[in-house]
Amino acid sequence: MKSFFDAIGNLFKKPVTTEFPVQQTYIPDDYRGLIVFEESLCIWCRKCEMACPPGAIVFSQDIETGKQEYHYSPYVCIYCKECVRACPAPGALLQSSEPGHPGLKEENLNNGWNKLFDESLESRAAYAAEKKRKQAEQKAATDKAKAEAAAEAAKQNPEQPIE
Amino acid sequence: MATQYNIPVGAQHIALLEPLHFKFTTENEKIMKAEANVGYVHRGIEQACCSKFKFRQVSFVVGRVCGLCSISHTTCYSQVAEKLMQLDISKKAKYLRMLVIELDRIHSHLLCLSHVAENSGFEALFMKTMAYREFSMELLEAVCGNRIQYDFSIVGGVTRDLRPDVAKMVLEKLKIFKPQLDELVDIYSNNYTLGLKNKGVGVIAKDDVYRLSAVGPFARAAGIPIDVRNETEDTLPWKEAGFEVVTETTGDVYARNLVRLKELYVSMRIIENVINGLPEGDLAVDFKGFPSGEAINRLEAPRGELFYYAKGNKTQILERLKIKAPTFSNVAAMVHGFHDNEYASAPAIIGSYDPCLSCTSR
Amino acid sequence: MTRIETSFETLKNDVAAFYKMDKHHFITMNGVDLGNDEIEYQWFFCDYEYPCAETMFVAKANANVMVPSIREVVEPAWVAEAELSDLMGVEIENADKGFMLDVDSDEAPLRKKKK
Repeated sequence: MKSFFDAIGNLFKKPVTTEFPVQQTYIPDDYRGLIVFEESLCIWCRKCEMACPPGAIVFSQDIETGKQEYHYSPYVCIYCKECVRACPAPGALLQSSEPGHPGLKEENLNNGWNKLFDESLESRAAYAAEKKRKQAEQKAATDKAKAEAAAEAAKQNPEQPIE
Repeated sequence: MATQYNIPVGAQHIALLEPLHFKFTTENEKIMKAEANVGYVHRGIEQACCSKFKFRQVSFVVGRVCGLCSISHTTCYSQVAEKLMQLDISKKAKYLRMLVIELDRIHSHLLCLSHVAENSGFEALFMKTMAYREFSMELLEAVCGNRIQYDFSIVGGVTRDLRPDVAKMVLEKLKIFKPQLDELVDIYSNNYTLGLKNKGVGVIAKDDVYRLSAVGPFARAAGIPIDVRNETEDTLPWKEAGFEVVTETTGDVYARNLVRLKELYVSMRIIENVINGLPEGDLAVDFKGFPSGEAINRLEAPRGELFYYAKGNKTQILERLKIKAPTFSNVAAMVHGFHDNEYASAPAIIGSYDPCLSCTSR
Repeated sequence: MTRIETSFETLKNDVAAFYKMDKHHFITMNGVDLGNDEIEYQWFFCDYEYPCAETMFVAKANANVMVPSIREVVEPAWVAEAELSDLMGVEIENADKGFMLDVDSDEAPLRKKKK
């Protein structure tokens, strides 16, 4: 019987729900949001990439200059802040309180990001291979130069008898 | 012998929150036998944890096992990894972990209670309980920064500090919630119609709990004081924070409701004690090296005992990680609890079991 | 944690001698693939009363050997046994297949892949 009167009384109470567009819901000011990258402070150590659980950060590398580029997918990110904790350069990575945006189908989020991820890894492997090849070339060149110098010296040696 | 009918419930059913299949054999509205199929949401998380993810990243992966007890999974994994690494974490980190676990317990228990009310046909009480539950979600959002996946525990400590203004807000909201909880206890224990649906229904007696090794509110409703918070002190200092076991005797839906409601008082007391006595210290400890050897860890999730087994092999990736969720232990008791009940009370019984299938099948 | 080494022949007797229904509860059964088709099986128990000590029964065997069931002694063990028999792809006495995995799933996902 008591609950019956309670139910009647509820008709005259204020609604519990918030009127959303007029009245804002509670959002804490240190909400976990997107990761912000500051290129000038980065030391390119790739620790964030190794720490990231879902693989939302990847660095690609230019084959000619060796310059690295930072890629971040806000749709793969789980906002866990592991990258910020792993980062040894203060200020290079920060977590903002800006919430992630819904993705659109046109942006080809999943496949596009997977492709970019694989391409980035390939570009780094290609750069490493290129560097190795260049080093080997350089070494071969210096070796050749040395051998030539030695041969030259050897040629000249018989003319200078050892005292 | 009367004619027997087989009635399937699930995997998609209005009374179920998650995909779970029951096959009831009924005789004149009475359930004679029940069978359960719990493997609908198997996602291979154990396999992913032992092959794809490094051991530091696993604490974020296991948080995705379950949305309701995410913090229990992350904390239990963090503790088992700390045992493998032989780390000592600061007291402050332990206290903060307890705080979030108890906040999580409040929101999980209130969800279960509202679900029991809904399944018993008391829609208004469902609305009321869900409205009162909202404060715990807001507090979790303020403390952890996320509303559902908290990502709060990591191997070696916790990720975020408790700000003084948030701590004040927690205490204030708990003060508002206390009379609301008294009101809920009054309705759940004294309402006549709800009593008809809940009292003496779905009884799992003390002997059956012993026989079927049930854990959590199942066992406590039958009068067995089994609670991991009462049993271990090496991982989290529960007793210091004011923990007491809550038990009931009858073991029916009504008793399970009351156990959950009374545990909310205990949770609120623990939260108040944690905030008032929060020690100073580091949030997380730095460490180097890789896990080796094997370790187990138990933790009381909202639904009962959570168990982790981990084995390391001195590399970044674990050799084996076994997750045993509370509902998994209770499957045998769940099937037994339907026996000799009316078919019409099956939804209320399922609700009172609070089954978490994502945990169970991982 | 107490670790008790046992074998398939003595497992049932060991567990029956150890397990008292109102003193211990059964936690779960687990398997670890050690490589080369060898699997370590573990059965976990825990006390009811404080201080709670966990006990682990361990038996090692080849993956082809049928694992004895302990459900005559510990009734709820059938859930863990059915799950393990699916995920590790081993034969367990009286365990029904298809409890955790569907027919079209990968077989034995928790076993190490052969090179």
